[in-house]
Amino acid sequence: MKAFIHKNATSVREAVMLLGQHPGKALPIAAGSDLLAEMKDRIETPEVVVNLKTIPGLDKIQKRQDSISIGALVPIIELVESGLLGTNFQVLVEAASVIASPQIRNVGTVGGNLCQRPRCWYYRSDLQCLRKGGKTCFAPMGENRYHAILGAGPSYIVHPSDLAPALISLDAKARIAGGSGDRTIALEQFFVLPTTNVRRENVLRPDEILTEIIIPLPAPGTKSTYWKQMERDAWDFALVSVAAAVRVQDGKVAQARVAMGGVAPVPWRSHEAEAALVGKALDEINIAEAAQQAMKSARPLRDNAYKVDLAKNIIKGALQKLA
Amino acid sequence: MAREFQHLSKSTPRIDALERVTGQARYAEDVTLPGMLYARVLRSPHPHARVKSIDTSAAEALPGVRAIIHSGNTKNTWSGGDMQGRRKVFSEVVRFVGEPVACVAAVDRHIAEDALQLIRVEYEQLPAAFSIDDAMKPDATPIHPGGNLEQKPMGYEIGDVEEGLKQADVRSEQTFRTKHVNNAQLERRVSLANWDGGRVTIWASTQGIYNCQKDMATDLGLPLSKVRIICEYMGGGFGNKNQAYDFDMMAALLSKQTRRPVRVEFNRHEDFIAVHGRWPTLQHYRIGAKKDGTITAMHLKGYSGMGAYLRSSGDLASVEIYNAANVKKEVYRVYTNVSCSANYRAPAFPQAFFALESALDEIAAEIGMDPLEFRLKNLPTTWGEKKQQFSSIALEECIRQGAAAFGWAEKRRQYANQTGDIRHGIGMGLGHFGSGLGPSSATVKIFQDGSVKVFVGVTDVGTGAKTTMGLIAAEALEIPFESVSVVSGDTDVCPYSPGESGSRTTGYTGVAVIQACEKAKQELLDQAAAQLKMKREDLAFSNGAVVAKGEPGKSWKLTEIIGKNVDAIIGEVANTRPAMGNVARVCFAAHFAEVEVNLATGKIRVTRYVAAHDSGIVINKLTGGSQIKGGVVQGMGMALREELIWDRRTGVPVNNYYHGVKPMLHPEVPDIEVLFVEKEDPYGPFGSKALGEVPIVPVVGAIANAVTHATGVRVRELPITPDKILMGLRKA
Repeated sequence: MKAFIHKNATSVREAVMLLGQHPGKALPIAAGSDLLAEMKDRIETPEVVVNLKTIPGLDKIQKRQDSISIGALVPIIELVESGLLGTNFQVLVEAASVIASPQIRNVGTVGGNLCQRPRCWYYRSDLQCLRKGGKTCFAPMGENRYHAILGAGPSYIVHPSDLAPALISLDAKARIAGGSGDRTIALEQFFVLPTTNVRRENVLRPDEILTEIIIPLPAPGTKSTYWKQMERDAWDFALVSVAAAVRVQDGKVAQARVAMGGVAPVPWRSHEAEAALVGKALDEINIAEAAQQAMKSARPLRDNAYKVDLAKNIIKGALQKLA
Repeated sequence: MAREFQHLSKSTPRIDALERVTGQARYAEDVTLPGMLYARVLRSPHPHARVKSIDTSAAEALPGVRAIIHSGNTKNTWSGGDMQGRRKVFSEVVRFVGEPVACVAAVDRHIAEDALQLIRVEYEQLPAAFSIDDAMKPDATPIHPGGNLEQKPMGYEIGDVEEGLKQADVRSEQTFRTKHVNNAQLERRVSLANWDGGRVTIWASTQGIYNCQKDMATDLGLPLSKVRIICEYMGGGFGNKNQAYDFDMMAALLSKQTRRPVRVEFNRHEDFIAVHGRWPTLQHYRIGAKKDGTITAMHLKGYSGMGAYLRSSGDLASVEIYNAANVKKEVYRVYTNVSCSANYRAPAFPQAFFALESALDEIAAEIGMDPLEFRLKNLPTTWGEKKQQFSSIALEECIRQGAAAFGWAEKRRQYANQTGDIRHGIGMGLGHFGSGLGPSSATVKIFQDGSVKVFVGVTDVGTGAKTTMGLIAAEALEIPFESVSVVSGDTDVCPYSPGESGSRTTGYTGVAVIQACEKAKQELLDQAAAQLKMKREDLAFSNGAVVAKGEPGKSWKLTEIIGKNVDAIIGEVANTRPAMGNVARVCFAAHFAEVEVNLATGKIRVTRYVAAHDSGIVINKLTGGSQIKGGVVQGMGMALREELIWDRRTGVPVNNYYHGVKPMLHPEVPDIEVLFVEKEDPYGPFGSKALGEVPIVPVVGAIANAVTHATGVRVRELPITPDKILMGLRKA
């Protein structure tokens, strides 16, 4: 690992200031379960690493009147074991419980899970790929069984986060602190497609950090679930995952949010699937139609057409669990 | 069972279990010496290139860097790197991504790594071929003179396969593909070398201290007596730690140059690409059978991808196990610009058995015969092209007892008609492995207090070999196991052993231990007879003392025989000179797998597994059973997940790390029921046959057949992953 300077930030302001002092040469670290591996492989070689774990107050889950707030430093395991997220946030609890391994869930943070870098094997290899500042995305002509089928190009990574689709299905917001001020945006807007920025997966500027996630309390009657399909039974990223939150009223779907992992360079919200459900009964035929609609614009590569079938089948499986 | 044993055929915990689980066991990486330097390797980023120049000036200027070796200043051959002697430690032409270009020794590992970044190498890139198919094309750039496809196949022919195919009622012609699977052992590579005058000591993680010693002496131009290899504990190898390696040489050369101990370290990525994995294959089978299930012909034309150098045979072994009048096997080796392929547990077997067992299930299905009945119909009565008799065989008993324990017939009925997304299926596979005997040596000391020390040149590679040798000695000397200590893993202390590969340890060195024990006992009783003025036949060695056979209670302490000033009685055997005559000594296995497949997700789960084994008398059922379970888990990984993937355009490996190849995890492994059919073998030590290699052999075929039984989808290219199931269902 290349030598670096390690600085403990004692406040959000200080963290942002330290990052701003070394533009492009400093990176924030929380648990480091992703960043340290990247540094060992010299995918990232920061000169300064700003430790966020020394900032007090960012590791709390707080219930408010009409929302819940999750600090960026909350360990993933807390989403499962704190008991603070009840059945209202079922999709998030389920998503958190299938991330990586128990050890990683114990140290890994909510913010880290949302800001983790892609697992694309070209990005993680020694090749200088598009996402690392090179000229080529090797996936479309190369080994692409795990790559994107939706929203891809010129980079074909898939977003690896499990929490992101779950939070997007709950209409969560992200709070960002930065050198030029703080802002709160819809989490869905936090992530960016490669057509916007081929080097990064989110809107964070070099002197910005994610500090908090705010989830509005779902309307009464909302049911939600997360289906993660992995090759291994554990300790694996999703081949495809589906987060679904649905509210049925008077026998018809009043509200539906469907977001997927493992299919696109961003956590992929399927407005098509949602539109196919709203106003209709949550029955087998309408669920099948929603799954069909979700994959309507899929453009598989040579080796990942199976993801289309898999996505349809687990969208059906997830929605049937809510019916 | 014919014989009663005091110590064998039981479950005995490892002799060094406490040291291992409490972290006291010292592995190669645990050894640090004062002033030790750390070395890291610079590897080629190109799959095929000429190294035009290497500029190390910037790296040398980095504070803390002590020495840099590369093709410009180091010309040593690495004899273990290529069976045809074509490989240097640093080659002027690199032939795969990851081939060493330079090695830097520095005061710590981070400085060594930083230095690698500062070495400027100018390459002239050459055209490259990564797959067996591409490398065989006529216009492919030759990786070595003579071309990429070796013209002379390995194999043999019995009868006439064309005639046999004509006689058949049913014929099958299929092509199978298997992939490069890394051994993925837990212990990463390190090699620590230190010179003491003209002698070099190497702490290596090796499966054979004497192989390592011989290779190092040859490649360094030293007498054997000047090379010492130590490997007290090792953390797995499964065939890819058989010899001395280029990094052992790098450590030795850098240590000599710097006059400091030098440890070469690999990271996990390097471990996956810089040594070797199982050879990938392309296999064409033509098989014919009569309607009654008799196989009339088997023709295998196979191609094995050896990577950039030849490090093992590349053979394929499977067709031997079935009795057919007409058999032809031809296997060709192919060079490719990727990491080398060589030994991984039963090197030539599981990939061949996957294909053969899949093809045979297809034939059985076409005839409408139960796969179990079909196999029983074609069991071997003699062995191979020489039609040898077996020293012992219990294959049929394995099949029958395994099937009964598994519930084969009931499950076939139960799963005949299924609906819904969740489907179940069962499959079986057979396997065999050679169980040869060969020269080895051992020394046994019976100390004056009756305790015993056994010296053997084995390394315990995880099989429990130290425990095995201790149990054999305890049995041979009729003494408590607790009074036996075993010393192993140091060429300066222990006598020769052939290396822990090829399922040889128990057979070769076990015989040596028995002979050494007999010799020590003989010597003791001869001395006792002289001392006590009694007949030798009237005396025996029992529980650490000499006893009179005819007079119960009459015994003499060893000090009364050998005197207080003599340490021990020593029995030594330098060469066991085993003789077997013209018989085939083969161990066999029959495995049964049950799977659950979700048709909606392609997810395959192995839900039940029975492994029935014919390994003769089992020396230790605890470690023997563990070996079988370990082999089954490795086979599951090979069947369902593991392959090393190189980008088809750049030749860069893309998944050379644990999460990339995804070996099986504990929660994914069902209870594995192990069944030993213990038929005594007349040649092996205490009736035993080989055990270590064979457990992985039947697994892949058994699981593949179970998946097809569950889904109707036949996947002919490993691994059988969810994407292949889902795409197969599209076609179905």
